[in-house]
Amino acid sequence: MRRIIGALVQFRNPVLYFVLLGLSLLFLNGRSHFHQYYLEKYSLYFSQSFYNISSDIVNYFRLKKINDKLLKENKILKSFQLKSNGISLYPNAIKAKKRFSFKVIDANVIKNSYLNQRNILIIDKGHEDGITSEMGVISDQGIIGVVKSVSKNYSSVISILNQDLKINVRLKNSSAFGSLSWKGTNPNDFQIDDVVINSSIIKEDTIITGGMSSFFPLGIPLGKISNYEPNTKSGYYKINASLFEDPSQVYYVYVIENYDIEEIKKLKKDILK
Amino acid sequence: MNSNIITLIISFFIIVLVQVFLFNNMFIFGFINPMIYLLFLVVYRFDDNQTLFILLSFVLGFCIDFLSQSGGAHTIASLTIGFVRPLLVKYSFGVTSESPSTFQNDLRKRNKYLFLVLLILIHHLLYFIIVYFNWNATYLILKNTILTSLFSLILIALISRFYKKLNDT
Repeated sequence: MRRIIGALVQFRNPVLYFVLLGLSLLFLNGRSHFHQYYLEKYSLYFSQSFYNISSDIVNYFRLKKINDKLLKENKILKSFQLKSNGISLYPNAIKAKKRFSFKVIDANVIKNSYLNQRNILIIDKGHEDGITSEMGVISDQGIIGVVKSVSKNYSSVISILNQDLKINVRLKNSSAFGSLSWKGTNPNDFQIDDVVINSSIIKEDTIITGGMSSFFPLGIPLGKISNYEPNTKSGYYKINASLFEDPSQVYYVYVIENYDIEEIKKLKKDILK
Repeated sequence: MNSNIITLIISFFIIVLVQVFLFNNMFIFGFINPMIYLLFLVVYRFDDNQTLFILLSFVLGFCIDFLSQSGGAHTIASLTIGFVRPLLVKYSFGVTSESPSTFQNDLRKRNKYLFLVLLILIHHLLYFIIVYFNWNATYLILKNTILTSLFSLILIALISRFYKKLNDT
């Protein structure tokens, strides 16, 4: 303290000068609108650069919160998107007022395997959050899998990287139906079976979900055809496809709940009787 | 010493009043408004209290600003002169054993005029910069600084001679 006072006494002239200079600047600012305008302009310029730095730092710490908010927003948008996908593909959809029976629940992936032949994922939502088995799981750019078993807070999902899972798909521009499955090697190599040879196929056509399974609504884009060749012996095409998104690198997913699944199941049973 | 303070106070008030009521109404060639209140900053004793001097120069500028309804340009300019005056004294009179204690006491004319010119130029430049406060007005600032400095210099030189005689008697 004594040192501070000593320093103040020693440098009293500069200190006094700058204090009075500050005072007179205030005085100038208060009395002249012209100077006020310019001083504000300069102070804005300086404060802006400081604010930029500080907002960068603050934003960094707010990222998690923002992420959560965006995820929530995405969830809502995703359900709209699914709905509109379906409507746009049904020619008479608007007239018929087709009801949309799917609901979207967001979830985080907490374990993701992709090295086995039959891979599963674990997500952090369980039956407390309204998840039951046999629900479809999608990400923002494609399909991830189907829910297999559910515990209180977690569920396991059969990954699309599982040779047992076959997904009903169709092609966007040719309306040919088929089923998509993993080849079992590269997480990006898929094949589409059961496409009849008399349907026309365009190269690089987009693959969308077919809407015939009760897991996924119609029209979720999955990937594109990389190449194809007709297999004349069996009467089916042999199509290789790749996905838009690498399923091994997915962290946020949306679980799709189908309200009508019980109804559909019941109908299926009735047919089998 | 006592009479010195009285002279200081009286000259302070006289200078302020003369500046505000006489020279602020004087427009040579329509725009030159000589500032003779710098005289106070010139004649203040060189060896007197520097801190008090800064304070006084602030108060002087403030009074001029206040009475002539200008912004704060006089305050900032004269405050700065108050702060840098020791440097100007050192530069123009040199650091010798015979450095003067007051402006009037020194007999070296060249040094005196150098001191005056520097002081007035710095003050006026700062003053006009603050008044115009705009890069586009550089020409106006320089023109006003040089012409006004010329007239201020003449007037201050004249009056300081008169001041000297007054002090002597």
